[in-house]
Amino acid sequence: MKRNSIIYLIAGIVLCFPAVCHAQLERERVVTSTPVEDTFWATKNVGMSTTINPSGNDLHSSVLHTFGLVDGGIDRFFGLDDGANTRLGLIYGITDRVSIGLGRMTFRKVVDISTKINLLRQSTDDSVPISIAMKGATGISTLSGLGLEFSDRLSYFTSVMIAKKFNGFSVQLSPMYSHFNRTLGQAQKDLLGLGVLLNVELNEQFSLSGEYLPVFGDRNPGTEDAMAIALNINTGGHVFQIFFASSQWHNEQFIMANNRDRFWEGDFRFGFNIHRVFGLGGR
Amino acid sequence: MKFFSVSVFIVILMFSTTAQAQSYITETGRAAFTSSVPLHSFTGRSEHLNGLIDLEENLVDFYIDLQTLDTGNGKRDRDMYSTLEVEEHPFAEFTGSLTSSYDPESAEEQNVTVTGDFSIHGVTQSIEVDGTLQKTGAGLQLNASWILNMADYNIEPPGILFYRVDEEIEVRIEAELEQQDDETNET
Repeated sequence: MKRNSIIYLIAGIVLCFPAVCHAQLERERVVTSTPVEDTFWATKNVGMSTTINPSGNDLHSSVLHTFGLVDGGIDRFFGLDDGANTRLGLIYGITDRVSIGLGRMTFRKVVDISTKINLLRQSTDDSVPISIAMKGATGISTLSGLGLEFSDRLSYFTSVMIAKKFNGFSVQLSPMYSHFNRTLGQAQKDLLGLGVLLNVELNEQFSLSGEYLPVFGDRNPGTEDAMAIALNINTGGHVFQIFFASSQWHNEQFIMANNRDRFWEGDFRFGFNIHRVFGLGGR
Repeated sequence: MKFFSVSVFIVILMFSTTAQAQSYITETGRAAFTSSVPLHSFTGRSEHLNGLIDLEENLVDFYIDLQTLDTGNGKRDRDMYSTLEVEEHPFAEFTGSLTSSYDPESAEEQNVTVTGDFSIHGVTQSIEVDGTLQKTGAGLQLNASWILNMADYNIEPPGILFYRVDEEIEVRIEAELEQQDDETNET
């Protein structure tokens, strides 16, 4: 008898609890897991692409510069008198995972169009442990007066980028392939490489990064594996990359095909990149 | 004894449904803020405002997952989440009560004032907010706005080069709260 009474009382209290006692709403998060941010601080590290894509409806702009070799000394103002290879680039985020890009660099007056897709994005709850992105690009040399067919001016590049960030330290491996429709002499039409990128965050404003791009298999005579180290500065609105790099070229297929300088023997040059994102969300 | 227990059980249930009769709830309210830097301003929005207005208990309770705020610029959003330390303090929340009169029978839009505790970034301040309430077919329509001073909540205004975001931001909320299922008639 007594037992039944207790059961009725408990049942009554339990049933009414949500109503009588609905003091505060129970706090529940809508967003429980987000992509890991700033695995690298821009869509390119120095010359190589990263897994980073602009958010949907964001426009990423970049200005990339590389100068002459630093060993030119004060007479050449450490390479700055030797002229810059400048690349202007725009990347538009169609979604948070898909972007299209357009760029143009000084050397060979190459215009490139590209797309990058994030297949996986490392998540804060580690349910997705790594980021994987794919990039495809076509370069079009617009040099005039060479008597080239349009197809002779084309080169292609594709890469899979696999990245992971561990507590402020990021690493990326980028197997890549490039193809040139037309080459001269002993130059290879097809090149294979493996990009290795590192980024170490010093604090919220500064990070150190590096990249190394060995070419495997047949390569162009006299070319060397490219390397670069950079200081990244995040000002809140811009990301500046101040670097020393062996290659004066910008896009990966051209770095693989044309770099003739050995970083580790002192053949490097000064350069800097400026990255800026504009929100086109109309707010 | 059994009769007594069953009676208490029924009375408690009746009381509970009576209490539900004048409570209104939403999970899809809209919140927005406008922030300014020199020569420019931007707005962040969310449609995940959760709210409860219980006229019987005189309870007004709202919260929002800060990571649902979207300013239209992914980089700016990430900076905002970092500034607000959303991993540690994921919610902005208000709990208080109506301190002005409100006639629940009137269909007119009525000016109301609520007073209570607003928390963000791990800091709680007592605030008073003016707004309007209007009875609708499905429940209550709420509109309110107030000025939030970031310094009051230990929020460092983000900087862009030499500029800093204005410390004062305007916060606006708008919600259609649905009346909770009225079980009184079924009891």
